[in-house]
Amino acid sequence: MRDVVYLAWRYLAYNRFKTAILVASITLIFYLPIGLQVLVSQSADRLTARASATPLLVGTKGSPLELVLNSLYFESETPELMTYSEIERVARDGLADPIPLHARFRVRGFPIVGTTLDYFQFRDLRVAQGEQMAILGECVLGHVAARELGVTPGSSVTSSPETAFDLAGVYPLRMRVAGVLEPSDSPDDRAVFVDLKTAWVIEGRGHGHQNLSGPEANSAVLSQDEKNVVGNASVVEYQEITPTNAASFHFHGDRSTYPLTAVIAVPRDEKAGVILRGYYESETESAQIVRPDFVMEELLETVLAVQRYVVAAFVVVGFSTLATSFLVFVLSLRLRRREIETMIKIGGSRKRVAALMATEIALVVLFSLVLGAFLTALTAWFGAEAIRAFLVS
Amino acid sequence: MGSFPRSSLGRLVVVIVSVTGLFACRPGDESATEGTTQAGNLSVITVNYPLSYFSERIGGDAVEVNFPAPSDEDPVFWTPNAATIRAYQEADVILLNGASYAKWAARATLPQGKLVDTSSGFRDRYIAVADAVTHSHGPEGEHSHTGTAFTTWLDLRLAIEHANSIQDEFAQLRPTESVRFEKGFASLKNDLLELDGKLDQVFSQVGDDPVLGSHPVYQYLMRRYGLNLKSVYFEPDAAPSDAQWVKLRALLVTHPAKRMLWEAKPLPETASKLTALGVESIVFSPCGNRPASGDFLSVMRANLKNVQLAFMD
Amino acid sequence: MIRIEALEFSYDSREFRLAVDELTIESGERVAVIGASGSGKTTLLHLIAGIVLPERGRITTNGIDVSALSEPARRDFRIVNAGLVFQEFELLEYLNVLDNILLPYRINSSLRLNRDVRKRAVELARSVGIGDRLSRCARQLSQGEKQRAAVCRALLPCPSLLMADEPTGNLDPANKARVLDILLEYAEASGATLLTVTHDHELVSKFPRVIDCKEFHFSSSASGSGGSELEREGP
Repeated sequence: MRDVVYLAWRYLAYNRFKTAILVASITLIFYLPIGLQVLVSQSADRLTARASATPLLVGTKGSPLELVLNSLYFESETPELMTYSEIERVARDGLADPIPLHARFRVRGFPIVGTTLDYFQFRDLRVAQGEQMAILGECVLGHVAARELGVTPGSSVTSSPETAFDLAGVYPLRMRVAGVLEPSDSPDDRAVFVDLKTAWVIEGRGHGHQNLSGPEANSAVLSQDEKNVVGNASVVEYQEITPTNAASFHFHGDRSTYPLTAVIAVPRDEKAGVILRGYYESETESAQIVRPDFVMEELLETVLAVQRYVVAAFVVVGFSTLATSFLVFVLSLRLRRREIETMIKIGGSRKRVAALMATEIALVVLFSLVLGAFLTALTAWFGAEAIRAFLVS
Repeated sequence: MGSFPRSSLGRLVVVIVSVTGLFACRPGDESATEGTTQAGNLSVITVNYPLSYFSERIGGDAVEVNFPAPSDEDPVFWTPNAATIRAYQEADVILLNGASYAKWAARATLPQGKLVDTSSGFRDRYIAVADAVTHSHGPEGEHSHTGTAFTTWLDLRLAIEHANSIQDEFAQLRPTESVRFEKGFASLKNDLLELDGKLDQVFSQVGDDPVLGSHPVYQYLMRRYGLNLKSVYFEPDAAPSDAQWVKLRALLVTHPAKRMLWEAKPLPETASKLTALGVESIVFSPCGNRPASGDFLSVMRANLKNVQLAFMD
Repeated sequence: MIRIEALEFSYDSREFRLAVDELTIESGERVAVIGASGSGKTTLLHLIAGIVLPERGRITTNGIDVSALSEPARRDFRIVNAGLVFQEFELLEYLNVLDNILLPYRINSSLRLNRDVRKRAVELARSVGIGDRLSRCARQLSQGEKQRAAVCRALLPCPSLLMADEPTGNLDPANKARVLDILLEYAEASGATLLTVTHDHELVSKFPRVIDCKEFHFSSSASGSGGSELEREGP
C-alpha cells in the first residue's frame, strides 16, 4: 500500500498544475454548498439569536422588517419616528418594562443609539474601559466603533450633521467618550450609545445656551418684560456639554411628544405579552407591535429559499465538474497507456496498477476534502465578519 | 399602645415589636456606604434628606440609605459629579422628590427602572411658582419655564404621601420585609400626623395675619395651614442689600407682617433691622439637608416650638 | 532453459502467424534474435516472457510451463525471473532515476523492497556509471543514461532470464557498445540466459547463437516451419 501511495504521490507532484486544477475543482464542488450553508446558518443563528432575545418591539406602523432592522441592527438611516408617550403605554398596568430607543443619527457612519441604562442590562453589555456614561453629553462606544473611530475614554466624538445643506438641520454635538464596552459579537459593537436625552439634544429638543437674564447676554436679547425674556438669533447655543455649561441645558415642551424610533417591550410574562399585543390590534392604531423572532423567521425563509436554488445550481455545476474531472482522468489514462503497458510487461500486477490509478484519484479527492474542510473552517471563523466588512465597505 | 396581653407569648410578641420599634425610631445612620449593600439589604439613594429620613424610619435594618450631597450645600441646587452619579446608578432604588427637585437628574443617566418619583401620587397638587422668569427664543416662540415649588414635605400630609410611596416601593422590592416596612411607615406617619396637628393648631391662630418668608420655600406650608405669606429673597448668612430693604419696606406697606420665617438663624444685624421694622425672625428650617444634630423629626419639632413661641404668645 | 514445442500464435486482426515446431535455448546461452520487421522477434520474446499466450503449443522456462500459468502467475513469474529492456527505454518520467530502478519492487508484491534492495540499486547504478544521477528525473538524462537506468531496472531483481528488445536501437555507437557490454557481462557473471532482439549486424557478432525468425511463420504449404539457426562458435 505504501508503494502505491508513493507512486501516486510522485505522479501527482510531477503533474502539479493538473493536480492543482483537479483539487481546486473538486474542492469547490464540496466547499461551495457547504460553505454557503455554514455562512447562512451562522448568519441565521446570529440574526435569530438577536431577534429571539428581543421579546417585543413597538414602533410606528409600517414595515415590521424595517422596524426590526433599525431597532436590532441600527441599519436604517431614516427611521420612522414615534413619540415618547408610547413608553407610558407599554408600561401601563405593569405589563412590560419599556426600553426606549432613538437610533436616528450617526457618528461617521456608526449609529448613535439613544437609550437608557436598562438597555445595557437587557443586552448584558459591560464596560471594558473607562466608565458607564453618567452625564448628559457622554457616550459609551461598542469596541468596534471605538477602534475604528480611534477613540478611548476621555476623548470625544461628534455627531454627523444630518444634512450639509439644510441650515435648519440638526447640529453636530460633541460628546465625551466615557467608556468602551466589552465585545458582544453583535451590532452593539458598532454603536455609539448615548443617554436618550442626549439624543434629544442632537435632535434639537434640548439645548444649552448663555443666560439671557444676565448682562453678558444683552446683545442676544430681542425683548424683555418682567416675566419673559425673548432672545434673538444670535443666542449662542453650546455644541458641547461641559461641566461648566451642563446646568444650562434644558428641554422645551412636553416630553411625551419627544421622538423615539422604537420601544423594546420586555413583558412581565407571556400572558402580559399577549395582552400588550392586544392593545395594538386596532386598525386605527398608529403604532405597531412586532415579535422580532417571527419577522426574522420570515426573512430567513426567503433567504433559505434563495439558498436552496443556489445550492441546486451548485449541485448541477458540481456534477458537471465531476464529469469533467472523470473525463480528464480517462484521457489521462489514455495518455499513460504506454506507462501502464510497461508496468504490465515488466511484471507489475494488474491489481497494483489499478490500485495506483485509484490511489491517484483518492489522493486528489482527499486533498480536496482537506482543503474544503479548511476553507469551511475559515468560513465558520471569519465568514460572517468578512461579509459584514464587505457590506460595510 | 394599649394594654399588654397577659399571656407570656403575648409579652414576647410585645417585646419583639417594641425592640423593632426602637430600631425604627433610631436617627438616620450617617455612615451609610455608597451604593453597596450587605447581603439582602436594599441599597437606597435619595436626592434630599427628608426622603433619607423617611427611608431609614420605614426600612430600618433592611435598607442602607445613602444621601451623597455635601452637608453644607442646599441639595436642590447641588449637582453631583460623574462618580456620584455612578453611585446613584449602582443603588437598588433611587428616590426622587419630584416637583422639579434635583434638576440635575434631568441631565444625568440614571436607570429608569430604579427611579421612584415619591410625589407621583400628588402631581396635581404641585404649586406653580407664579413669579418665575421664563425665557424664549427661536421660531417656536415662548418656552415656558414655569417654576414648581419643591419643598413638598413641608406639607406634612404630603410628607406622609412621600413616605407611603417609599414604603410601597420597598415592599415591592423586598416583599419578605413588608411587615417591617408597614410598621416603620405607621410609626413615621403617627409622628408626622401628630406634628401636623400641632402645627395646624398654632397656625390656625394666625388666621389671615400677614406673614413673611425670607425665601420662597414655604409654599406648601402656606397652603397647608392657610397662611397669608409672601416671600422675599433674604439669605440667613448674607446681609440683604439696600435695594432688598427698600423692596421689603414697600412690601410691608401692603403686607404688614409682624413675623418672618427663616430657613436658618439670620445674621444678628439682619434680625435687628427687622426688629426695628417690627418684624420678628422665626427659624422654620425646611431641613432639606442633614442637620448638624438631631434628625428631621427633631428639626420639625424645633420648628414647631419656634412658631408656638412666636405665634401663641 | 527455455523450450518451445509446437507453438502457434497469431494476432486477431492481422494476417501474421507465428509457428515454432521446436526451439530450445539452454540456460546461460547468449542469443541474438534477428529477422525482418514484422517477422515476430518481439512476439517471440513476449511469448517466452508470458506477456502473450500461444494458441497452441507449450513454452517451458526453467522447468515451468509458462503457457499454462494464469495471467497473475505469469506476471509474478516474469517480475521475479525475467528482466526486460526496451528500445524506447520506457522509464516513468515522473519518477527519478532511483525510483525507476526500484519500480519492479513497487508494482508487484512478489518482490519486497527493503534497505538491501535500495543499496544494491545504488551500487548497480554506480557500476553502470549513473550513480550521480539517481535523484534526477528521467527526462534530465541522456539517451545512453536512460538506457543504462532501464538496464539497472531489469537487472535489480537478479533475473535468470534477460530479454532485451532492440536495446541499442536509439543509442549512439559508444553507448551501444556500453549497454551491450553491461548485458553480456551480467549474463556471463550470473549465468542468466540472454535473449536480445537486434537489427544491428555489428552487435550480432557478439552473440554465440543467432536465431532468425523468418522461419517461424506458419504457411499453408507447410514448408519450413522450423526455425533457422545460424550457430556460431562463440562471439
